[in-house]
Amino acid sequence: MPLSGAGPGRSFVLDNGLQVFLYEKHDLPLVHIVIGFNVGSKDESEATNGLVHLLEHCILFRGSTTRTGAQVTTDIRRHGAYFNGHTGQDLAVFEISLPSAEIEFALCNQRDILFNLALSQADIDAEKRVILEEYSQMEDDPERSATSLVLQGLFPGHPYGRSVMGRREVVEAATSRSLGDFYRKYVVADNGAMAVVGDFAASDIEVRIRDIFGALPKTGFEPEAVPMAPPLKKSSSQRLERDVREGYLYIAFTAPDYNSPDQYAMSLLVEALGRGVNPMLGGYLHSQRDSVQSVTMSYLPFRFGGAAVLSVRADPRDLPAVERAAEDFLKRAGNQNYSKKDVLGPEAEMAAFDYLEMAKNQIRFASAQAEESGLQLAGSLVRHMLLNARPDPGRYLDGIEKVDSSALRKAAGRYFGKGEYAAISIVPIKEKDR
Amino acid sequence: MKPRTNRAGKWAVLIAGGLALLLATARPSAAQSPPPPAPWKNIPVRATLGNGIPWIYQKDAISPTTVVGLFIGGGKSAVPAGLDGLAAISTRILLEIPDEGKVQDLMAQATRLSYVCYEDYSAVIVECLTEHLDEALRVAAKIIQDPLLSGLRVGRAKDLMKAYAKMDDVDPVATGHNAILGALFGGRGYGSALYGTEATVAAIDRKDVSGFVKRAMIKPNVFFGLQTDLEAAAVRPLIEKAFDAIPDGTPAAVDRQDPALPENRDLAIDKDTKQTYVGRAHILPRAGLPDMAKGTLLETLLGNGPGSRLWALRADERLAYEVDAELTWTKSAGILIAFLKTDRTRGAEAAAALDRTLDGLRTGSVTEDELKASREMVRSGILRSTEPKAQRLRTIGLYQVLGLGPEGVAGLLAAVDAVGLEDLNAFLKEALDPARALRIKVGPPAGEIVKEEPHVRSVRR
Repeated sequence: MPLSGAGPGRSFVLDNGLQVFLYEKHDLPLVHIVIGFNVGSKDESEATNGLVHLLEHCILFRGSTTRTGAQVTTDIRRHGAYFNGHTGQDLAVFEISLPSAEIEFALCNQRDILFNLALSQADIDAEKRVILEEYSQMEDDPERSATSLVLQGLFPGHPYGRSVMGRREVVEAATSRSLGDFYRKYVVADNGAMAVVGDFAASDIEVRIRDIFGALPKTGFEPEAVPMAPPLKKSSSQRLERDVREGYLYIAFTAPDYNSPDQYAMSLLVEALGRGVNPMLGGYLHSQRDSVQSVTMSYLPFRFGGAAVLSVRADPRDLPAVERAAEDFLKRAGNQNYSKKDVLGPEAEMAAFDYLEMAKNQIRFASAQAEESGLQLAGSLVRHMLLNARPDPGRYLDGIEKVDSSALRKAAGRYFGKGEYAAISIVPIKEKDR
Repeated sequence: MKPRTNRAGKWAVLIAGGLALLLATARPSAAQSPPPPAPWKNIPVRATLGNGIPWIYQKDAISPTTVVGLFIGGGKSAVPAGLDGLAAISTRILLEIPDEGKVQDLMAQATRLSYVCYEDYSAVIVECLTEHLDEALRVAAKIIQDPLLSGLRVGRAKDLMKAYAKMDDVDPVATGHNAILGALFGGRGYGSALYGTEATVAAIDRKDVSGFVKRAMIKPNVFFGLQTDLEAAAVRPLIEKAFDAIPDGTPAAVDRQDPALPENRDLAIDKDTKQTYVGRAHILPRAGLPDMAKGTLLETLLGNGPGSRLWALRADERLAYEVDAELTWTKSAGILIAFLKTDRTRGAEAAAALDRTLDGLRTGSVTEDELKASREMVRSGILRSTEPKAQRLRTIGLYQVLGLGPEGVAGLLAAVDAVGLEDLNAFLKEALDPARALRIKVGPPAGEIVKEEPHVRSVRR
């Protein structure tokens, strides 16, 4: 989620192009550092799908030119650090969180693992096996696998239609050369951004960051053009059988990208329709089928497209009917009343529920909560630095406040009205197939 | 640290009076030495409200939000035999809102009501923007103190439990945890199924729920936790005014429940999955903070990410993506589970490697460097896990339930710093005795392991 306010932060760009945001947060003696790069599954081809994810693992766990992977993890532990990385459609990010007294170690450690990677074939082969286990773990998890598959179904033919984790055969065949090509091209200062959040004095840390990261070269990196994801032309529905006891239904619609002016309306729309205590779509689906246990919507704004994903848990026998009901409701979402102001007459206004106000409060609450977690805050800052293409986007919450119910209806009509979507159902294995 | 992984005490041989005894033991007296400094900048403070109920208040101005928790003693430990799921159903029903208008009030303000139920307590939690606290408390307190215990609502809560049980069933870590506690506590109390089984949920009726709520929701058995950006003087009257109807009463006695190794020490649960979960459980003593400190260090030595003992099964032996250790404290003992998830064809290999790792820790000595690193990991892990207000509320509440009071977290950290190398190595030798391990496997039965893709049916529309 984008930041709710400027807060006690400062930003600057090093001469080599690395963007930096420092945010003081003094409630706990911790510091959180997230460094991200503008590289994700969008930058892969069919032949390289999976290399960014493999690269992320190697950077984290397989050492640098100065330390082995085992030495890095020993150092990490000695300093009481949490240490992780994530690969997505757009970005690869690396995070470390530790006591604020250890900030010097954290900065030096991240510089070392990110910019001094040693890629031996033996280390790559070792990490491949771990990644293949991660594939299996994801396939056993109905929610993770459904999310991945429904996004692949939403973007056929577009780079976002590739799996973030990649193809097994690509990972199995990866070499130090193929991975090295990716590393040298993308993991460079002028393709990166860093956020430091926590208990420190920004003026002191700025000096240290300039010392530690300032000497990295500027490579003249130019991102390759990625086309905007087109709207889905034809709906698709896929059904998988797994060893589960409930039915899982995931439906994805095309949604606005990270820089679209529609992003605020879509953020509010998914809150009104599918989040909170009793959202509109949740209430409707419950009324259609008693077996519906949970209804959730989320909005995933990417740099070159977006997705609104509905997830439902229900009796597997009811999933086809729930899918039809959701499709029908969302097609009509452009005609709904979202605010008390949409109804005429004082009595009607008294009786109507203000979903728009609820959605705005939910986003304000979520934004406030996000400021409690330093790592989450640092991740949001890095994401914004790397994905934002607007010269002056303003405060996120100001954009949210300006949205009225008419904008919600327009967004609903534009993104849900045509009724094209990708769906995945995960249901229990039939006894006869066991 | 996971909320369910910390519990407490051998001194509480008979926990008569639910929380009453614990609240009394947690109160510092003038003769005691001052508690060690809390890891947070603002210290949580315990006092008694005008309505006679204790509260633990901590100010945190990092965000304009407030989290209020009503902690209720008992949890799974108070569930009678054959009524598995009763504690969770009875807590969930406190959140049933009978009035559509009240639902809308909470919805409009984005106020969140939730509940948790663990081994020794359950809690109802209210989270809101602080500007809406007055209204949130007014609505929440009304339904929590005067729940509508109709057959229809009990039936709805029972349906929810069945759904939650199905969700747990797809998570091998939850499945393993539940099976291990079930085996160590004979399927009763701590070992009862949190969400019940088909049979026990069917057996629970409105009177069971009503009785449970009446026994649990009394002043000597509850306390409040509060994390807020408001001053205590501003928020205290709101709580006192809203929660003025919790009755007095005499808490029911809950017998101490000690874990015992079952006759069958090799549990196997069949699942048609691509991975097999392999775990080992050990019972840890819990006679006070020193035991908790050593148990927490053991959990950290084994798990908590890169560089841990179990990490070698991933980084070097390439057996798994996920390896970890989890520790559940009850009032009587700690239950440590070390586990990994491996390819379905490698279960036996993973089990042997896990045994080897645990035995290596037991027989080989932990070094001073390793102990020092583990201390750092424990301290920063607690700080990180208590950064968000809601998580901090649950952690402080748990320590209160365990009889350690609001200064319990600081006490644990001080005890961790005080653990010496010899003492820890002696503890590991006893705690990880392989003859006293409970083994578990969740995955395909050995005779049916074949490499196959999940069943897929595609439909183009």
